[in-house]
Amino acid sequence: MAKFLFYRLLQALFVLVAVTLIVSFAIRLTGDPAVMLAQGAGSITEADLARIREALGLDQPFLVQYLEFLKGLCTGDLGRSFMGGTPVGELIGRALPATLSLAFASLFVSIALSIPLGVTAAVSRGRWPDQVIRIVSLVGLSFPNFWLAIMLVLLLSITFNLLPPSGMEGWQSFIMPAATMGIILTATNVRLVRTTMLDTLRSQYIMVARAKGLSNSVVLYKHALRNCSIPLITYFGLQFGGLLGGIVVVERVFNWPGLGTLAFDAVAARDYPVLQGVITVLSLLIISINLLVDVAYGFVDPRVRKS
Amino acid sequence: MKKTTLFKACTLAAAMAAASSSHAGSLTIASPQDPGSWDPIDTFLVNWASVATNIFDGLTYRGPDLELVPGLATNWEELDDGNRIRFILREGVVFHNGEPFNAEAVKFTFDRLLGEEGARGPQRSNYTSISRVDVIDDYTVDFFLNQPDPVLLTKLAGYGAMIVPPGYIEEHGDDYFNTHPVGTGPFQVVEYTPRSDVKLEAFADHWSGAPKLDSVTYRFISEPSTAVAELQSGRVDIVLPPTIPIGMIDSINNHPDTEVVSVASPTVEALRFNTQSGITADERVRQAIIMAVDRQAIVDSILAGEGNVIASFQGEQSFGFDPELEPYPFDPQRAQELLAEAGVEPGTSLQIDIRGNDATFAEVAQVVAAYLQGVGLNASIQPYETNVLLNDIIPAGRTGAMFQQKWGGWTFDFDNTAYLMYHTDERWNPYDSDTTLDEMLESQRSITDRGERETLLQSVARYTKERALEMPLYSLNALYGVSSRVENFEPAPDSRIRLTDVDVTE
Amino acid sequence: MSSNSRSFRFSNLQRFKSLEFILGAVLVGSIGLAVLLSGFLFPDGGGGVNLAMRLTAPLTDGSFPLGTDPLGRDVLARVIIGGEISLKVGFYSALGAVALGIVMGLLSGYYGGIIDMVVMRFADVQLALPFILLAITFIAVIGGGLTNMIILLIISQWVQYARLVRGSVLSLKDREFILSAQAIGVRDWRILFQHLLPNLLGPVIVLMTLNVANNILLESSLTFLGLGVDPVIPSWGGMLAEGRTYLQTAWWVSVFPGVAILLTVLGLNLLGDWLRDTLDPTGRTSR
Repeated sequence: MAKFLFYRLLQALFVLVAVTLIVSFAIRLTGDPAVMLAQGAGSITEADLARIREALGLDQPFLVQYLEFLKGLCTGDLGRSFMGGTPVGELIGRALPATLSLAFASLFVSIALSIPLGVTAAVSRGRWPDQVIRIVSLVGLSFPNFWLAIMLVLLLSITFNLLPPSGMEGWQSFIMPAATMGIILTATNVRLVRTTMLDTLRSQYIMVARAKGLSNSVVLYKHALRNCSIPLITYFGLQFGGLLGGIVVVERVFNWPGLGTLAFDAVAARDYPVLQGVITVLSLLIISINLLVDVAYGFVDPRVRKS
Repeated sequence: MKKTTLFKACTLAAAMAAASSSHAGSLTIASPQDPGSWDPIDTFLVNWASVATNIFDGLTYRGPDLELVPGLATNWEELDDGNRIRFILREGVVFHNGEPFNAEAVKFTFDRLLGEEGARGPQRSNYTSISRVDVIDDYTVDFFLNQPDPVLLTKLAGYGAMIVPPGYIEEHGDDYFNTHPVGTGPFQVVEYTPRSDVKLEAFADHWSGAPKLDSVTYRFISEPSTAVAELQSGRVDIVLPPTIPIGMIDSINNHPDTEVVSVASPTVEALRFNTQSGITADERVRQAIIMAVDRQAIVDSILAGEGNVIASFQGEQSFGFDPELEPYPFDPQRAQELLAEAGVEPGTSLQIDIRGNDATFAEVAQVVAAYLQGVGLNASIQPYETNVLLNDIIPAGRTGAMFQQKWGGWTFDFDNTAYLMYHTDERWNPYDSDTTLDEMLESQRSITDRGERETLLQSVARYTKERALEMPLYSLNALYGVSSRVENFEPAPDSRIRLTDVDVTE
Repeated sequence: MSSNSRSFRFSNLQRFKSLEFILGAVLVGSIGLAVLLSGFLFPDGGGGVNLAMRLTAPLTDGSFPLGTDPLGRDVLARVIIGGEISLKVGFYSALGAVALGIVMGLLSGYYGGIIDMVVMRFADVQLALPFILLAITFIAVIGGGLTNMIILLIISQWVQYARLVRGSVLSLKDREFILSAQAIGVRDWRILFQHLLPNLLGPVIVLMTLNVANNILLESSLTFLGLGVDPVIPSWGGMLAEGRTYLQTAWWVSVFPGVAILLTVLGLNLLGDWLRDTLDPTGRTSR
C-alpha cells in the first residue's frame, strides 16, 4: 500500500510539473505583456519596452523564469501580478472561495434536482414519467451555458428586476449562476441516480424491506437511496473537478469574482504570473481530487493497486 | 404554496438590492477594467485615469471642455525660448494624509517619474523632454527642458504627472502606494479590492471645496451586457466608456430610468494599408478601395450615428485637424476605373485583419467587405486576438492588405498619432518610408509657435490623405450610460470624469 | 467464443420505437438535411449585406421570415448555413479524437509497459488542465479558425476514448479468442484492428455521439468568447455573440441561433442516450 501511495504521489507530482511547464511555456508564446502595459501610453519606443520587460524579469531565458516560478511555488510564493504588482497568492486567495462556493452551490442545485427526479424515473422505469424526466433533463444539458445565463439575466434581472445581474453579494447573487451550472449538470446526474437506484431496487435487501410491508416512500428514500449514496458521492466528488474547469464562461457572464474571471483577464492582459498561478491551483485541486478517489479505491479494491 | 414562498423570496431579494444602493449622496460607477495599481507612473489605461482624476491633481487641469486651466499651479510662464517653464504653486493645499503640498512634492514627483522608479513603468517616455525640476522657493518651481515641448502643459494635466506625496511614499514604499494611493484630489480612497471595486470618499479639505457626493464606488465590470444590466436594474448609476456597445444604445434609452449620453472622443478607427507589397502598394488601388466604401452609411447604420467620418487619422478636437480637408467621396464608379487602370483583375482577393473581440468593428469590417465586393474585390476578414495583432502581426509587417488600427490618445494632438503611424521605422509603421513625411514630422516637434505648428500638422494630414496611406473611417463618440438619478453630469471626451459637481437625487 | 464478448451488432438495435430515438432522429435528421441542402436553398449565401433592411423583425417582411441581423442579412438563411460550421467542428473533431483515442488506447492496453506509461501520463496531464483556459491560451498562440478549433478539440478529447478503449482491451486481451489468435500467429495489427476493435466499438460510438453534441457547445462557447471562426462565415456561436448586444431590442438575432444549437445538441444527446441504452447497457460510458 505504501508503495502504491508513493507511486501515485510521484505521478501526481509529475503531472503538476508537466502542467505548469506547458502553461508557462504556452502563455509566453502568446505575446508580450510589456506591450499591453504600454498600451495607450503614447509614444512608446523599443527601449521603453525593453526597460519594462527587464523590470518584469522577462529578459531572462524561459527556463530561468520557469525555475524561478517553481522555486516560488515550493515556498508558497506565486509571484506578483504584472498589472499593479498585487501578490498572486492574494488574488487567488480572494477568487478561490468565490469559485468554490459557486461550484458547491451548483452541485447543490444539481443534487437537489436530480435525486427526486432520478428516483421518480427509476420507480416509473419505462413508463411516461421516466421518459419525460430523461428528455427534459437532456434539454437542460443541451443549452449553451452562456446563452442560458444571458436569458436568465434578461428575464430575472432586467424584465422583472428580481435578482442582481452580476457580482457576488449575498445569497441572491448565487441563484442565477448556480442554476445555470446546476441545470446543465442535472441531466448527467439524473441518469446516474436513476441507474444506481435501479440496481439497488433489484437487490434482495430492498425486496426484504418491501416484504416487511414498509411504505413505498420509506423504502425508497430511507433504504434504497442510502444504499446508493456511496457511488453517488464518489461521482459527485469527481464532477467537482470538471465543474471547476467549466465555470469560466459562467463566471464571465455574471462578473463573478472567481478564478475563471481572474484567468480570463490574465490571458487578455498577458499577466503570466496570475495565469500560471490560477492554472496551477486549479490543476492541483483536480489532481488532489483524483488522487483521493484513487487512493480510496486502492483501499477498497486491491486490484487497483497493481495497475 | 411553493410559488408564493418563491415570490416572497424574490421580492425580498429585490427590496434588499434596492436598499443597498440608496445611501444618501453615493454613486456607483461601472468601469471596464481594474488597472491593478493606482500609482500614476504605472499608468497605461484610460480606466486608471477615469478614477484617478478624482484622487489626484496635476499642475494643470483639463476638464470636459478640453481647455487647459490652473490646477495645483495657479500660474505659469514660458522662459528661455520655451526651454524653461516657471510654475507658481497653489498655497494651502494638503494631501489626503494631511501632508502639505509644496515645491518639494512637485520635485519629488518628477524625480521619481524620470528616475529609477519611473523607468519600470510606461509613463516616463511621455515626459522625457523634462531634464530637471528645480525648487526656487516653497511655492515656485522651474522645469528645465531638453527642447521645447509644445504638448507638455497638456501632459501635465494627466497620467504620469499627477502630484504624489513624498513623505507618504517614503514612509510606506512604492508597493503600498500602488494599492493605497494618496493625492490631493477631491476624493480619497478608503478601500480597494483588486479586480472587484474601489471605494472613494469625499475629501472635505480639497482646495476647490468639498464635492457634493459623500462617496463613490467604482465597480470593475468587463462584460458590456453585464454592465448595462446593472445599470438598468439600478445597481449602477454610470457606465463609463468604452463599455457600451452600439447595439445596446436603444435598450438603454428605451428604459425609463436610463439614457446614453455621448460626446466626441479622441478614438479614431482606420483600415491601414500594406503599402509595400500586393495590390495595395499601388496608390490608385488604395484610393479606389477608399472610394468603394460608403463610410457615411457605416456611421449612420452600424454606429447609429455615434461617430463622424474623418478625412485623416484624427478627430475634430485634435490639434492638427483641418475642417477644410474633405474625405474621399463614395464613388464606386471611379473606384472601378482606378482599379482597372492599375490592372487589378475583378475577383482579386485581399485580407482585412481585425481585432477578434471588437464586435462593432467586426460588423464594420463585414460591411467594408461587402462594399469591396461591389467593385469586384474579394475581401476576407481575419480576426486576431488583440494582443497578437498589436504585438506580432502589425509591428512585424505580417498583416493582410488592410488592417484595423484603433487609436486614441488623451493629448488630442495629431503628433501623438502621426509620428507613430507614419515616421519611418516606428513600431506602428511596418510598411512605409517617406522622407518628405519624415521631415515634416520631425520639424513640427520643436516648433513652439502654435499657429505654425498647426499648419504643419494639417499639411501632414493632407499629405497622408493624398498618398492614401490608410482608409480613415470615423472618430467614435464616448458613450456613457447614465441613470436618471444622476445630476450635473457632463460627459468627458477622454473618459476622465471629475465628480466634483455631480450629485444624485433619491 | 466471440459471442460472449460484447460485439457490435445492429441486430441489437431493437428499440427503434423509443420516444428518445424518434425525437432525436427527427431533430438531427431534419437539421442535418437542411444544413446539407443549404447550398441549394440559399445559393446566394442568404443575401449579402443590406443596411437598408437591418434588424427587420420576423414575419414583417415576406423575404425574411425570421427577420434580419444588424447588417440586414437573412437570419433564417444564416442559421441554416451557420449549422455547417457547428456540425463540421462537432463531427470532425469527434472523429479525429476517436481515431487518435482508439489507436492510443489499443496500443496502450495491448502492449502495456512503456507505451502504456507514456500514454496514460499524457492523459493525466490532459485531465488536469481546465479545458476552456487551455483553449483560450492555445487559440491566442495558434490563432482561431475552423482547423485550429478542430485540432484543439481533438487534442483535448482523445484522452477519454483512449482510456475507454484501454480499459476494454485490458479486460479482453486475456480472453480465449484473443489468446487463440495469438497462438496461431496472427499478426498484432490484425488482432488489434480485426479482433479487438469490433468488440469495443459500441461504447466508443455512444461516447462519440455525446461528444459531437458537447463539441458543438464548446465551439459555440469559444466563438462566443471571440476566439472562434471568421465572423464573415456564419456560425451559431458567432451569431449568438453578435446578437447578444441586441437582445433587448432585436431578440431574433440571437434567439434563433440559440434555439438551433439547443435543438441540434438535444437531438444528438437523445440519440446518444438511446444508443447507450441499446449498445452499452452496463453504462460504462455514463458521464
